[in-house]
Amino acid sequence: MDIEKPSNKTAGKPIQCRAAIATAPGEPLVIDEVIVDPPNSHEVRVRIICTSLCHSDVTFWKMKDFPAVFPRILGHEAIGVVESVGENVDGVVEGDVVIPHFLADCTECVGCRSKKGNLCSAFPFKISPWMPRDQTSRFKDLRGETIHHFVSVSSFSEYTVLDIAHVVKVDPTVPPNRACLLSCGVSTGVGAAWRTANVEVGSTVVIFGLGSIGLAVAEGARLCGATRIIGVDVISEKFEIGKRFGVTEFVNSKNCGDKSIIIDMTDGGADYCFECVGLASLVQEAYACCRKGWGKTIVLGVDQPGSQLSLSSFEVLHSGKILMGSLFGGLKAKSDIPILLKRYMDKELELDKFVTHEMKFEEINSAFDLLIKGKCLRCVIWMGE
Amino acid sequence: MPSSELVMDNKNASSTAGKIIRCRAAISRIPGKPLVMEEIEVDPPKAGEVRIKILCTSLCHSDVTFWRSTQPPMAVFPRILGHEAVGVVESVGGGVEEVREGDLVLPVFQGDCGECRDCKSPKSNICSKFVNKDNQSMPRDGTNRFRDLKGEVIHNVLNVSSFTQYTVVDVTHVVKITPDIPLDIACLLSCGVSTGLGAAWKVAEVEEGSTVAIFGLGAVGLSVAEGARIRGATRIIGVDLNPEKFETGKKFGITDFINPATCGDKTVSQVIKEMTDGGADYCFECIGLASVMNDAFNSSREGWGKTVILGVEMHGSPISLNSIEILKGRSVCGTFFGGLKPKSDIATLAQKYLDKELNLDEFITHEVSFHDINKAFDLLLEGKSLRCVIWIDKQN
Repeated sequence: MDIEKPSNKTAGKPIQCRAAIATAPGEPLVIDEVIVDPPNSHEVRVRIICTSLCHSDVTFWKMKDFPAVFPRILGHEAIGVVESVGENVDGVVEGDVVIPHFLADCTECVGCRSKKGNLCSAFPFKISPWMPRDQTSRFKDLRGETIHHFVSVSSFSEYTVLDIAHVVKVDPTVPPNRACLLSCGVSTGVGAAWRTANVEVGSTVVIFGLGSIGLAVAEGARLCGATRIIGVDVISEKFEIGKRFGVTEFVNSKNCGDKSIIIDMTDGGADYCFECVGLASLVQEAYACCRKGWGKTIVLGVDQPGSQLSLSSFEVLHSGKILMGSLFGGLKAKSDIPILLKRYMDKELELDKFVTHEMKFEEINSAFDLLIKGKCLRCVIWMGE
Repeated sequence: MPSSELVMDNKNASSTAGKIIRCRAAISRIPGKPLVMEEIEVDPPKAGEVRIKILCTSLCHSDVTFWRSTQPPMAVFPRILGHEAVGVVESVGGGVEEVREGDLVLPVFQGDCGECRDCKSPKSNICSKFVNKDNQSMPRDGTNRFRDLKGEVIHNVLNVSSFTQYTVVDVTHVVKITPDIPLDIACLLSCGVSTGLGAAWKVAEVEEGSTVAIFGLGAVGLSVAEGARIRGATRIIGVDLNPEKFETGKKFGITDFINPATCGDKTVSQVIKEMTDGGADYCFECIGLASVMNDAFNSSREGWGKTVILGVEMHGSPISLNSIEILKGRSVCGTFFGGLKPKSDIATLAQKYLDKELNLDEFITHEVSFHDINKAFDLLLEGKSLRCVIWIDKQN
């Protein structure tokens, strides 16, 4: 069972390869052989070069109830090479280097054509266990049991199948262990500052949660010319790390516990507050810390399904503050990922500092440990030989 | 101590400058009970203040909310309500140069000092000159200018208090207006209609081809409709429990009507999502009920749907938003006075009216004399009026 050959002997056939499978909530992933079907119409099969772990993978790995399902191949931040294409695929051919993106960009529907938003209406975002077009799976274990997909990507596998609406072709000379970051986390944070909030030169920005997303927001705010980027976290070490990403001041919310510190230090509140953790209560704190009149609070973190944000209607009316949220930083993947890649190649956008660990596929569970303990930003996992 | 002067008419207005004026006012003493016409004393304006002879005033539902409240901070009694009005400057306090005796002015609940960081920014209209505004006394020094004949303080409302022959207003809340405009139309611009137009134009920035949903078709909701219509919105969906509002609404651009009582098993937001293929581009809440604010949010389209809150919540209930729906590209904001800066934007609206670009006449559905002011409350509560103008002094 050769995994690949330069002349494509595997096109049209199932491929047997290794995948890291989530079998039960919170249990270490099991690396095992799987069968990956050839791509259907509008699909491409991709050999993953490298993938990185994002906190959203951890969220759905730990979760016991729907939309968590098992067994499942997680992973959604990655870069790969197209092994073969199905029918009706334009613009991408075998051998192309591509980045998968969990947020669809079909480029044709009302949502994709609108300049105002980035949500595809043809393939609306959901935590689906299937391929988006026909609700079936391309993965099976060796006993023939179905293995589920994750947000139309499933990158913790040597091969995966992607719908063309979830794939963007990129410059093949980009370093893969940097480019893969743009498939989710860094794009989300940079995009949030750049596109969702539209941070302008001279702004004061407060970021709640200095994980990779929060630090990517800082990076984005820095590129947009923000003058003050205040980082809020409960771990003091994050300040030293944050400085490399443009964080100018730090507030340890465990020590102060009182949002008036932020309001005082910003003389009335920040122009932009970003919530990058995923807690409704923290969104409320962020809202309280942004300035009346024009302050914008941007929600990026994903809380539990069904969670509600509660705001005082008096405060909403009197303050004139704006509350908004976005997925994938408000970016349209197919146009914006290449733009961000170019900015990296032009040495404006810094990606190297996000990668704190690199490891082999077999070590994937240690990436989970590191992230859960808060001891890493991005762990890049190299697949294949 | 200034001497008291009973003003029966204003033949010699300037002779009252610097003196206490005795006049009539409609006072709210008990929550929800009819206003009582009484004689009061109105102190002369202090530094930075303007005393205004009110010509006419109109009733806004926010007055009703304050009138009915039994809990602080909204419940304050005895109080002179009213904040939508037009009048003539009777005298000014020290340091006031931008208006003078005889000027036609609108008192406005939204301040505009022109100097603070908010007033200087194009992005905000929430003047921050006076931080301790308590919505019952003068903003500059926290004292009151009204007393009843027993000497008891009567509180004001929203820095205006217009249900009186004379009121005292801080100069940051006074806007000169052209005398070319009919008085009853002028007074609409001091709150409700400006709020709705501003919300559509400045806060939401409704563009041509948009789909808009408006919850509550009172004067504010209908001004949003008028604003959206002028901007070229293609669908303007009105939501109201009163079926008569549809006919009224058509005059202001409403294209579709939903009565929540007749939606059957479906929620209003489900109906709106179905009829708009996903939700409206802009949703406006113009009533003041958290449950309706939630409905408005749920009726907005994912990707870019914007919800604008204009209503003053009547019971202090919080707004509750689903976190995932916010993540899907939606935004929510509230607005006072439609994001407009009173001293620059009211004149623009007045000119648009005079140039016949803005249709405001249809907002005035009733007129009463000052002594029949309680009828204005009845008409509004019965859903029979949009704006009822209360004439205090018909001269001019």
